[in-house]
Amino acid sequence: MKEKLLLLILSFIVLTATADQQAVIQKANTAYQAGFYENAAKLYEQVIKDGYASSELYYNLGNAYFKADKFPSAILNYERALKLDPSNEDIIYNLKVANNQIIDKIDQLPKLFYERWWESLKQLLSPDAWAVTTIILFVVFFIVIAIFLLSTSVGLRRVLLISGLLLLFVTGIFFIFAYETSEEAREHREAIVFEPTLPVKSSPEETGIDLFVIHEGLKVQVIDELTGWREIRIANGSKGWVKSETLVAI
Amino acid sequence: MRMHLFSFRATIQLLIMLFITSFGYAQVEFKATANQQVAVGDQFRLIFSVNAQANGFKAPAIKDFSIVSGPSQSSSRSMQIINNQVTSNIEYSYTYILQAVKEGTFTIAPASVTVDGKNYQSNSVSITVVKGGGSQNPQAQENQGQSPDISSKNLFVKASVNKSNPYQGEQVIVSYKIYTRVPLSQYSVSKTPSLTGFWSENLIKDNTPLNQYREVINGAEYVVAEIKRDALFAQKSGRLVIDPLELDVIAQLEVKRRRSNDPFDDFFNNSFFGSNYQNVKKKLLSNELTLNVKPLPDNKAGKDFTGAVGSFNINTSLDKNVVKANDALTLKFTVSGSGNLKLIDKPAFIFPPDFEVYDPRIIDDIKVASSGVSGKRTFEFLLVPRNHGKYSIKPISFVYFDQNSGSYKSLRTPEFNITVEKGTGNDSYVKAGAEKEDFQYIGTDIRFINTGIFKLRPVNHFFFGTLWFWILFLLPVILFVLFITIWKKELKKRSNTALMKNKKATGVAKKRLKAAEAYLKNGNQPAFCTEVSNALWGYISDKFNIPRSILSLELVSEALHQKSVSDELITKFINTLNNCEYARFAPGDKSEVMSNLYSQAIEVITQTEQELK
Repeated sequence: MKEKLLLLILSFIVLTATADQQAVIQKANTAYQAGFYENAAKLYEQVIKDGYASSELYYNLGNAYFKADKFPSAILNYERALKLDPSNEDIIYNLKVANNQIIDKIDQLPKLFYERWWESLKQLLSPDAWAVTTIILFVVFFIVIAIFLLSTSVGLRRVLLISGLLLLFVTGIFFIFAYETSEEAREHREAIVFEPTLPVKSSPEETGIDLFVIHEGLKVQVIDELTGWREIRIANGSKGWVKSETLVAI
Repeated sequence: MRMHLFSFRATIQLLIMLFITSFGYAQVEFKATANQQVAVGDQFRLIFSVNAQANGFKAPAIKDFSIVSGPSQSSSRSMQIINNQVTSNIEYSYTYILQAVKEGTFTIAPASVTVDGKNYQSNSVSITVVKGGGSQNPQAQENQGQSPDISSKNLFVKASVNKSNPYQGEQVIVSYKIYTRVPLSQYSVSKTPSLTGFWSENLIKDNTPLNQYREVINGAEYVVAEIKRDALFAQKSGRLVIDPLELDVIAQLEVKRRRSNDPFDDFFNNSFFGSNYQNVKKKLLSNELTLNVKPLPDNKAGKDFTGAVGSFNINTSLDKNVVKANDALTLKFTVSGSGNLKLIDKPAFIFPPDFEVYDPRIIDDIKVASSGVSGKRTFEFLLVPRNHGKYSIKPISFVYFDQNSGSYKSLRTPEFNITVEKGTGNDSYVKAGAEKEDFQYIGTDIRFINTGIFKLRPVNHFFFGTLWFWILFLLPVILFVLFITIWKKELKKRSNTALMKNKKATGVAKKRLKAAEAYLKNGNQPAFCTEVSNALWGYISDKFNIPRSILSLELVSEALHQKSVSDELITKFINTLNNCEYARFAPGDKSEVMSNLYSQAIEVITQTEQELK
């Protein structure tokens, strides 16, 4: 009873806080439809600045930036939207269109088949959806075990035991999915390049040798960080250092 | 009709031929060129040139001519930019210098080269060699043999150098002068020094008139003419020897003729008509020169020094600082001054990585004056920025060795900042996108925005790992543990009551049969049977509140039946009661009968107690 009350209060707070934001979003949507893409982008950004976000909001912001020819910002926001809603077809499509506008086309390092399966399974649900399904499955597991303990029929007990163990296994996998997706979203291990032309250096210093050049809009993985510098890895596996301010984390 | 057919076929043939030839032209062209007619003794060039990057040059056998030098390979590239389209032409050429040795018509067989793995053959060249030599200096040949000797005192060649102790790479001027006391009609250089170890520049052009003056040496007056002046740049340090220059000169000597009696003869033979001189050919050798070339001092300027020696100035300029992507920029780097200008290598500018940089065009404006080599060398870099952004070309150092001060001097270029704007109409983006990927998305648009109410949530907030997540996650565990404990307790309680009841029932039975047990021990069979019977009757009487006096077997059976005791047990109860009566008189082992009866009685009471409950 107490829990329910708490949840109610919490949702009430969130709703009242977002009423203002919803109005701003409506204004931004109108600006977008009228073709004032820069204004629309500013309004969407304002909502995010206030501390609220959703995959739809990031998607709309990405669209506004795309229409304003700011492709790196567009890609950044599509990627952020995709983090919250990994299976949304519109986001995937628009991200592909935006990626078509950037200069770098880097071949993906081929992944092993099980890695690919794992990644595509992981992208089926958003981090929160994974967390909720994990809890639901865990509850179902205990219900099955309770029925198992109460039942007297041997055949039923056998079926319940096997399905119970299976449920526990699946719950474990879902828990890992929930953990990985949330951690990835939280830790900002991916970033977008915002420098038109960015030489990637061999060491975190100005005098480092230029290893290769990447361009704005490219998604990179951040694997290490030093004061003012970030070590990045691009899709084909090449690594190097760039200045921190040239990247914006997803 | 026939005529028509013929002409039709001819047209097709002509078309095919045209096609083949034009096709051939567009591809690789490899041709040989040489003078068609030369004289014996003449030197001429034979050039094989190909308009593509070629290798594997195979020369034909040249037997009818002597090869003076060659084959020397050279290549040239030219580049044109029209509407941002860059086209470049390459020409590779292999040059021979041949000398005709005998008269006749000779054919030089085709040469072959390999271009992109394909073999190409040049045309063959036919050269006619005509009788020559006579035109060169017939008088000298005619008069040889009978020439009076000219002493080396009257005619000699002297080589001199302005500095016999130069630095490596420093300009040294070598001049060759003829000193003569006899008139000379002609001279020709028959052998120039090989000048190994030097880079040289001829300072006097072949057709310049000679500058003559008079000089007195040891009391004798000479006419002096400088015939050759070279600027030399030593390429290595140490003792370098310049070989003597070989000259063929034709001197005009007065001939002492036998006087004729004819006065006219004398008149016509006088110097006025030039016929009283005889042409005498003489070979002259200059002195040998030795230079002690000093090595350059240790270079403290580092790697920037590339070999320039002299005194120089640099000037760097960029034609514009703001440019659109894909438009060309020109960076000019000019070195001016005097010294080994032609040996100056292109400056090592570090251009922004995204710039397309072409090999620089080198423009030499080098004046060859008698004082030496001076002028300027300009490197024109063509740069094409491909993407927008802000770029800079960092300064570089131009280091040269100044032989006057004997030290290295460093000059620095300024830093250039370039702002590259987006190309017109977003060309670069569309192009870049179109080039690398399929055309699937060209002309398509992104999908429309979401409208309506969004499910807003705090930025960067995820359910996993929050307190609520853990509470909800651990809740089923807690509930399950709770369930298990409650269930376990209940199970225990249930098993406890059954046990207690059993115990109680047995207790009741044992109590009732306490007296009987005593008789069982001392073997009093009749008393035992009576006591068991009493116990059973008494149990029923107490349980159902039926007075002992009215109790009968039927009544017992009926009472038990009412309390829904199983028929089996009722029968067993009645049987036990009957057995008590029979056992009193039963023969055989008394103790066995008694113990059987005792356990039977205990059993029925216990079971009844359990079933009644």
